[in-house]
Amino acid sequence: MTVLEELRQSIEAGHPGETEKLVEEALAEKVDPICIVEEAMMPAMREMGERYKKQEADIPRILAAARCIRSGFVLLEQQDAAFEERNIGTVIVGTVEGDLHDVGKNLVALMFRSAGFRVIDLGVDISEKQFLKAVRENPDVQIVCISSLLSTALPEMEQVVKTLRRNDPEKKYKIMVGGGAVTRQLAEHMGADAYTENCVEAAEVAKTFIV
Amino acid sequence: MVRVSFVRERKSICVPEGTTVLEAEILAGLRPDAPCGGAGRCRKCLVRVAPMSSGGTDSDSALVSNGNMNSEGSMDFDGNTGSGDVDGEDFLIHDFRAATPPVRACQTKVSSDICVDTLTSQEQDLSILTEGYLRPVTFHPGLSVHKIQLDKPQPGDKRSDWERMLEQLAKAETQSKAQPETWPEIQPKAQSDRTERIQPEIQPEIQPEIQPEIRLGIRSGIRSWIQPDPALASTLYDRRGESGTWYAIHAEDEILELRRVPGRICFAAFDVGTTTVVGYLLDAGDGSVLAVESRLNPQAQYGADVIMRANYALEHGTAILAECIRMAVNEMLEALARKAQVSTTDIFQVSVVGNTCMHHLFLGISPASLVHAPYTPAISQRLTLRAAEYGLCVHPKAQLLMLPVIAGYVGADTCACLMAVRPDLNDEITLLLDIGTNGEMVLGNRKRRVACSTAAGPAFEGAKITCGMRGAVGAVDHVFYKDGVWSYSTIGSEPAIGLCGSGLIDLVACLLRAGRIDENGRLESGQEDPQTFVLVSPEDSGNGKGVYLTRKDVGEVQLAKAAIAAGIQLLMKELQVTEDDIAEVCIAGAFGSYMDPLSAGDIGMFPRSLTDRVRSIGNAAGEGAKLALISREELEMADELACGTDFIELAALPDFQDCFIEQLEFENA
Repeated sequence: MTVLEELRQSIEAGHPGETEKLVEEALAEKVDPICIVEEAMMPAMREMGERYKKQEADIPRILAAARCIRSGFVLLEQQDAAFEERNIGTVIVGTVEGDLHDVGKNLVALMFRSAGFRVIDLGVDISEKQFLKAVRENPDVQIVCISSLLSTALPEMEQVVKTLRRNDPEKKYKIMVGGGAVTRQLAEHMGADAYTENCVEAAEVAKTFIV
Repeated sequence: MVRVSFVRERKSICVPEGTTVLEAEILAGLRPDAPCGGAGRCRKCLVRVAPMSSGGTDSDSALVSNGNMNSEGSMDFDGNTGSGDVDGEDFLIHDFRAATPPVRACQTKVSSDICVDTLTSQEQDLSILTEGYLRPVTFHPGLSVHKIQLDKPQPGDKRSDWERMLEQLAKAETQSKAQPETWPEIQPKAQSDRTERIQPEIQPEIQPEIQPEIRLGIRSGIRSWIQPDPALASTLYDRRGESGTWYAIHAEDEILELRRVPGRICFAAFDVGTTTVVGYLLDAGDGSVLAVESRLNPQAQYGADVIMRANYALEHGTAILAECIRMAVNEMLEALARKAQVSTTDIFQVSVVGNTCMHHLFLGISPASLVHAPYTPAISQRLTLRAAEYGLCVHPKAQLLMLPVIAGYVGADTCACLMAVRPDLNDEITLLLDIGTNGEMVLGNRKRRVACSTAAGPAFEGAKITCGMRGAVGAVDHVFYKDGVWSYSTIGSEPAIGLCGSGLIDLVACLLRAGRIDENGRLESGQEDPQTFVLVSPEDSGNGKGVYLTRKDVGEVQLAKAAIAAGIQLLMKELQVTEDDIAEVCIAGAFGSYMDPLSAGDIGMFPRSLTDRVRSIGNAAGEGAKLALISREELEMADELACGTDFIELAALPDFQDCFIEQLEFENA
């Protein structure tokens, strides 16, 4: 088994210590960091997403795998400046005003980062003004992702989507929504460009937006 | 309008077309269980539906379109709607053949007259925990009764009737203070529970002499806290006379009633939980419990958890939910009074505790601030209100005591638990865990106490678990695994129909011990389907379906236990203590009382080393509600406990997520 295969398995099994060790091993073997991400980390996460869909994996296991990827990531960024700078596009993520939950949002941010996006994480309890400000300050932004776990924050989410739309007549960026409270119908009703069930799909859909 | 007839309940109701069956159930007063609040997700509101037809045999055609995302969910009965002459007595002619699949009541709209089988037995035989363990306190209620004499004044006495009455009252109070033995001390009740309990031997000192403030009656030199009451004063002339002996029933600052004979005077204490409501009727003379009542919180029909209820309140108004819980409390008050053979107008004080959302909804306060970050309560201080103004059918002047709320998600119920445990009296560190639909916890001692709330979710109450159920008859409450042999016990020793919280953690703990669940929570049952562990086969079960655990269920347990464990870790970090510093773990709530601490430690809900320091304290929130009535000092202490307990918002802690993920693992696998 190659080191990348081992790495992939350690992520799927959710062992962060082993993952870190294997990432270091791979780097020592002069494996390209981008290759580590694309041939071990992303496939592992994609596999977890597939298993989740088939109800073979659940959120605890996905979180465990994500933790492995994150600790591996930190290593890669420390070791390789070029890796840190790769940027296929800029994404803004944030949890909507009225909600402090960020587990889902952080997963999405991690997946975007893995996919090579530059991620601007605004944090939680983000008002429409803050989203708007972030979009204006980052004219290169291509995707805005809004998350909400509590259904009580849905009106705020709709408001943010509408405001962003109004302020972007040229459709310079895409709006994606997600989180425990959101469904596909709600997302369509709000006027979002995309909704995905999970974080892996979110990153994959986002890639299709970047041409 | 179309008619919906409920065959089991023998009720029918006319509703506009397009009404959902769930709404019709609510309108008919059936109180259906709808944990997801009618969102169509939980499938707990399943009903069978048949057209109302005189023949009653046409129920096999496709009757119901089970509404989902793409359909309008309206029902079409293929022209079986003509027989409008069917009256309510014909209910039983309809057969609900097994061929008619159950549908979700919340997603099924009514478009013509129908019969509905709600598939539930009338009143679920739930075992709701009502027992708690009372700390011995000095009986010194805020409400007291004093004998006074209302005589005709002497010529030349210019004092008003009101002033002379106050003087009588002051005299009577002084006398009874000189005889403190008239306040018997409540002894802890003998408990027959399996867990051994250590009763803290703390006797709060009798309060220092009350220093009455000069508020009125300056002319006559009488000092009293009592507020003037013109309506009562106007009756005093008629109360004079030879037999002018009266019993004044009064709180600290007002007279509630003047009676000829003292009669029976009662208190009522309520613990309003998200899922269950428990009420106690107490004798105001000695604090003894006269009657206990419990039932499900009927607000469940508007959603299982506080977020869904708050959502409903924000969309449809708080009044519906307030009315709903007050009605239930009134029913319970009546039942309590009936049991104890007293009148509800003999109840002079009612204390109510609940989590912040239940507290707000009971008072009719909008929960908007509670469900929007940063989740603050609208009001948190201790309240003394007029019970009648909040729709309670008790004595018209009875007081409603609301204990203080600690934070948005740490409510008056946690404050009540603190009153029952009083960790502020000890130097050792106590961990208080109240595991219900949310998990609240407080860690601390005399010096400092910190509270937090974790979204443990309702997994331990049976929700989200495939075979999960509440602690009712037929629920597997304990599971044993020894030398390769599996066994279990059920509530009421009836055939098993599901897993309640304590059975669930036992089963997971046993599967860990048997090596069938690995540290990541992966279940390999070793049975025909390796992803499912069958504990009770369909043949042995009480419902023909069997009782089993799936991989997904293990994941739900992981999420719930990790939330609690992460909360404990972060509280310890905040207080800079370790698990070795924790002298006692007090677990409140029904789940806490029935669960095996060993299993809880094995699955990692709390550090395993704490297993032998666990004490189950029963319905501590209910005990706190009682203490508020029987001890003025304890009631005042509630303010200090609430103010002096810090709160940390886990969602705002950067460590939370890592800590949570770490705790997802089964360390003891």
